[in-house]
Amino acid sequence: MNKFVAIVGSNSQKSTNRDLLKYMKRHFQSKAEIELVEISGLPLYKKTPDEFVPQEALDIAKKIEASDGVIIATPEYDHSIPAVLSSALAWLSYGIHPLVDKPVMITGASYGSLGSSRAQAQLRQILDSPEIKARIMPSSEFLLGHSLQAFDEDGNLKDKKVVEQLDGLFQDFLQFVNIAKQLNNANDVNKQKAEEFSWDKD
Amino acid sequence: MKLVGIAGSIADQSYNRTLLNFIAKHCKGIVDIEVLNINDVPMFSQDNDQTNTPVIQNLSAKIKAADGIIIATPEHNHTVPAALKNVIEWLSYKVHPFDGKPVMIVGASYHVQGSSRAQLHLRQILEAPGVNAIVLPGNEFLLGDVKTAFDDNGNLKDEGTVKFLDSTVKKFIKFAKVINMIDKTDDYETEDLTASGKADTTVEGVDMKADDWLDQAAKKVNAVEGDTYVKLDSGLLTVNQLNYMLKTTPIELSYVDENNQFIYYNHFLPTEKMLAKRTPAQVGDPLADVHPDVARVIKHVKQVISILRSGKQDLVSMPVPGNNETKHIMHYYKAMHDEEGNYKGVNEWVLDLMPIVNEYLKETGQMLVPDPNKKVDATAGASKKDDAPQAPTPAAKPEVDATSGASEH
Repeated sequence: MNKFVAIVGSNSQKSTNRDLLKYMKRHFQSKAEIELVEISGLPLYKKTPDEFVPQEALDIAKKIEASDGVIIATPEYDHSIPAVLSSALAWLSYGIHPLVDKPVMITGASYGSLGSSRAQAQLRQILDSPEIKARIMPSSEFLLGHSLQAFDEDGNLKDKKVVEQLDGLFQDFLQFVNIAKQLNNANDVNKQKAEEFSWDKD
Repeated sequence: MKLVGIAGSIADQSYNRTLLNFIAKHCKGIVDIEVLNINDVPMFSQDNDQTNTPVIQNLSAKIKAADGIIIATPEHNHTVPAALKNVIEWLSYKVHPFDGKPVMIVGASYHVQGSSRAQLHLRQILEAPGVNAIVLPGNEFLLGDVKTAFDDNGNLKDEGTVKFLDSTVKKFIKFAKVINMIDKTDDYETEDLTASGKADTTVEGVDMKADDWLDQAAKKVNAVEGDTYVKLDSGLLTVNQLNYMLKTTPIELSYVDENNQFIYYNHFLPTEKMLAKRTPAQVGDPLADVHPDVARVIKHVKQVISILRSGKQDLVSMPVPGNNETKHIMHYYKAMHDEEGNYKGVNEWVLDLMPIVNEYLKETGQMLVPDPNKKVDATAGASKKDDAPQAPTPAAKPEVDATSGASEH
């Protein structure tokens, strides 16, 4: 069975993005083993002359390295991903490269109707950057709008159509992970390139 | 014009900070730029609201007071650094200092891309409803290959780059002026002409509208009068001597305090002979009571005071309607400040310029002739008359007042 790391893209105690990942963990437990990972313990990303990476980031990197894929749930703050998620991704590409060629599924929930659409679009670009070089599942937007009303008391998605879409996308992701495993001819080169990418000064 | 600069990096060494410092130094003659520090801003969290900490409040206040903001962003992972995004999140949560503010984006990067994608993301972020900044369109300034771009003194080496930067900053200054003008139209609404607030000098417990406010208020504060000496900053006069002087100053002077209370005029003419008519009973009145309750008059008064209070302009002036060859009456409104620069009210003076002009013509043996190059006398045009003040109204159309302004200095 595939093992996935699910990154909660918010540091709020109450987060419908966390709720969404918790639901996915439970809902897909027969298909994959999903472990939720929190990023709220990470400090704000900062470059230092000695390229220090905090232990919390190294721990998350280890989990990602060992996984078959990553699921990210992002809220949208000011049309983009939260600083805390941006910061975590910066740590996860600062001298370490756990996300290179790693299959990623992007999801997101928002209180409004748009479901973090713009944050997801930016997140795709971010994950595609030379320092991260993740393998994002194409054409697979999952936007959960009105997320405060989306779950029932047991934390299950209420709307059948939404569940159907998520089921389909997750099935696709499983396939995508399998395919991605075969697309590893350039993996060594990619890793090396990401390592060579110099962060240098701002 | 005052701008603030934000370098979107908290790294110890930042080319974007170098770039901003260069812009500040290079543009010193045309604009003041203060480069802000975002190093100590905590991680944004909805669960731990730190909006009220000094670091966030200070940034918010500086941005709010600025005429515009220049943001220099590096690019991390195709986007803006988390540290920059983090600041914007705080400043779009409980406080919104960017609202309506003109912003220019620049960026430097180590690579050829010069932060191109980060700049696009930043545009999207700044246009989010909670931020609502107004970003200068076009005019992308991308400084690639930044490692070799500066000399040892932090100056940009390439002349063409400096020239382009110059033109971009100049465009931004114009842009900021226009945007601030749009934004300003609503500001004045908060001016309280009923003087319901309180200045340090407001005499409490006396009805402002009372006809004998002066006597009541004077009694209340044990005001000195007559031959009692008053020490001024460059002289010693008795109250009587002060009156002698003020009452022979051939200009109608009024004092409106920072609470919009009309507290003095130099009563040297009977009311009916005044250019802007005032009566002793009006002294002490809130401004709303000194002026006829006509919507456009009130609007103009508010606009003038708002401009002066905000410091956008130091002086507002305008001719009254009905001026002709024999009289040219001007109203001037000058902001007053204490030694710390706090707004202390309006010094209004009204005078007819024609006797001065005539005096000058007589002394120099000249005469007035129409300017053949000027089609119509725009300053006394009909459009202005429609909106013109009714004496004794300190009214002006700020948007047509091109004659003065601190912002032009």
